[in-house]
Amino acid sequence: MSFSKWSCAVVSVLLVSCATEKPANGPVKPIGIAVTLPVSMGLPPVPIPSDNPPTAETIRLGRRLYYDTKLSRDNTVSCASCHSPTLGFADGRKVSSGVDGKTGARNAPTVWNAAFASAQFWDGRALTLEEQAAGPIANPVEMDLAHEQLEGRLNGDPAYRDLFTRAFGPGPITIEKVKKAIASFERTVVSGNSPFDRYQFGGDKKAMNESAIRGLAIFQDPKRGNCAVCHTIEKSHALFSDGKFHNIGTGLDEQGEWRDKGRYEVTKLDADRGAFRTPTLRNIAKTAPYMHDGSQKTLREVVDFYVGGGSANPHLDKEIRELKLSQKDRADLVAFLEALNSELPADVGPPGSL
Amino acid sequence: MKNAGPLFLLIALTNCSGPTNTAKPPEKQPPEYFRVDPSTAGTVFGKVSFEGKLPARQKIDLDEDDQCVKLNPRGMFDASITVNKNRTLSNVFVYVKTGLEGKTFPKLQEPVVLDQRGCQFSPRVFALRAGQPFHVANSDPVTHNVHPIAKMNREWNQSQSPGDAPLQRKFVRPEIMIRIKCNVHSWMRSWAAVMDHPYYAITATDGSFAIPNLPPGQYTLEAWHEKLGTQEQKIRVDPSAKVQTVFQFQGEN
Repeated sequence: MSFSKWSCAVVSVLLVSCATEKPANGPVKPIGIAVTLPVSMGLPPVPIPSDNPPTAETIRLGRRLYYDTKLSRDNTVSCASCHSPTLGFADGRKVSSGVDGKTGARNAPTVWNAAFASAQFWDGRALTLEEQAAGPIANPVEMDLAHEQLEGRLNGDPAYRDLFTRAFGPGPITIEKVKKAIASFERTVVSGNSPFDRYQFGGDKKAMNESAIRGLAIFQDPKRGNCAVCHTIEKSHALFSDGKFHNIGTGLDEQGEWRDKGRYEVTKLDADRGAFRTPTLRNIAKTAPYMHDGSQKTLREVVDFYVGGGSANPHLDKEIRELKLSQKDRADLVAFLEALNSELPADVGPPGSL
Repeated sequence: MKNAGPLFLLIALTNCSGPTNTAKPPEKQPPEYFRVDPSTAGTVFGKVSFEGKLPARQKIDLDEDDQCVKLNPRGMFDASITVNKNRTLSNVFVYVKTGLEGKTFPKLQEPVVLDQRGCQFSPRVFALRAGQPFHVANSDPVTHNVHPIAKMNREWNQSQSPGDAPLQRKFVRPEIMIRIKCNVHSWMRSWAAVMDHPYYAITATDGSFAIPNLPPGQYTLEAWHEKLGTQEQKIRVDPSAKVQTVFQFQGEN
């Protein structure tokens, strides 16, 4: 605590002369009536931060911002460019493409059900959706727009001034408000109720076909697929992610060295070299290609990757080992993964008018 | 400063040329490579024959991967014992086991490529030199996971999706043999001999082998077969001699 007090003091001293982005009048909070987000079968209630309860106004504003290319330097890239509702809220590319066709090093994670993740980005460098939303806007290979410039743009737009005032009350538009609005919209990009959910939690034993049912058993059996050890299924719900970081041996180059050290870049802990956040598997059939580097094109390739025991490296997770699975077992696993598709909720596509 | 330059240079040059300049830090000496005298070098050549009952053709169960089934429309047969029409054996590794001690040979930089094609390794038996680049290609539309079960060298495995670039590795220490498997397809098998000298051969489809350019001397020759074991012979190579050697392996019962 004392450290954060000190750092706040130092930051405020530095900001006195130049900063306009930190409002002097306390933290940003939506002014409208908080709405209760619907709970979808197979999912827990959406976690809501106390300083950003979703309101109809912030969700509507966030949706508009999410689909607006104005958030990029050259007005060509929106959040939806890499996290598109027609591509499973990802982009179908190996790695994403930002302004001027610049490419990053990682595969776009889906926004779908990102509201449940305990950390954002493949390396978990943002803890909240709010924090995450700010990253790509300023990232030179993504939207490449400095936050101050974005604030300037939005403050110069009467329609946005109106929407922000309705959502957060009067005052200049700040990156804090942009982050909160986008995060609130993303908390509505949530859905369970997949064939698996109806089978597992809804008691509909016909919701999944025989192959998918066998695949579920393999998925959960520690002696067979052992998938659920990280892609977790709880008693009342399933996020298909333990929220932790694991080294499964992806991202090694031809010499067997890491191209991308993943979580290590955040923690600088040796054990985190080559570890990446366990992604959810919901809607996985819609978000090819796979892995943090998009190196695997099909679910079958992913299954074969795990059957082979990943790739050897000094920090390989102890749960990664060769699997004995027949052709039928592997096909069943893919059938199960395909049973994790769900329908898009209403009102998450592009808003009617921009 | 401008004026001082030539003067310093002059002093430096004077020092260098003087006979007292022997206290230079010792430079890393390149290893002294053994040179074969071509006017006296000999050759060992011969055949590896097969005696006994021919092994029954055994079909491999490709159930682990329907794509491998498609790539092998006529099925796949066990190739661990390949008897040629002239009752000789292919894929026998013949090499000089002893007699070259103390000789160092230049390293090879040309990569040795192991391909994965039709859900099989190719070649099945191969050799490379310690430190020589070793590439593993995946020419298949399926995921492989190459796994050299090395004992003297580091053991590793790496997944390789269709279309991935060839892996580029090395084995740094001599080791005979390294069994190589694929973690995804249990039937896939290859054998690598990592050598510290150039005197080895793998029998061809007529069972023949030849090890040329061998300096005169006394050697132990070994023939290795993945199923049928090893055999040794002592040989003497006189200057410019061509020494014929026949190995005979007995079939399994």
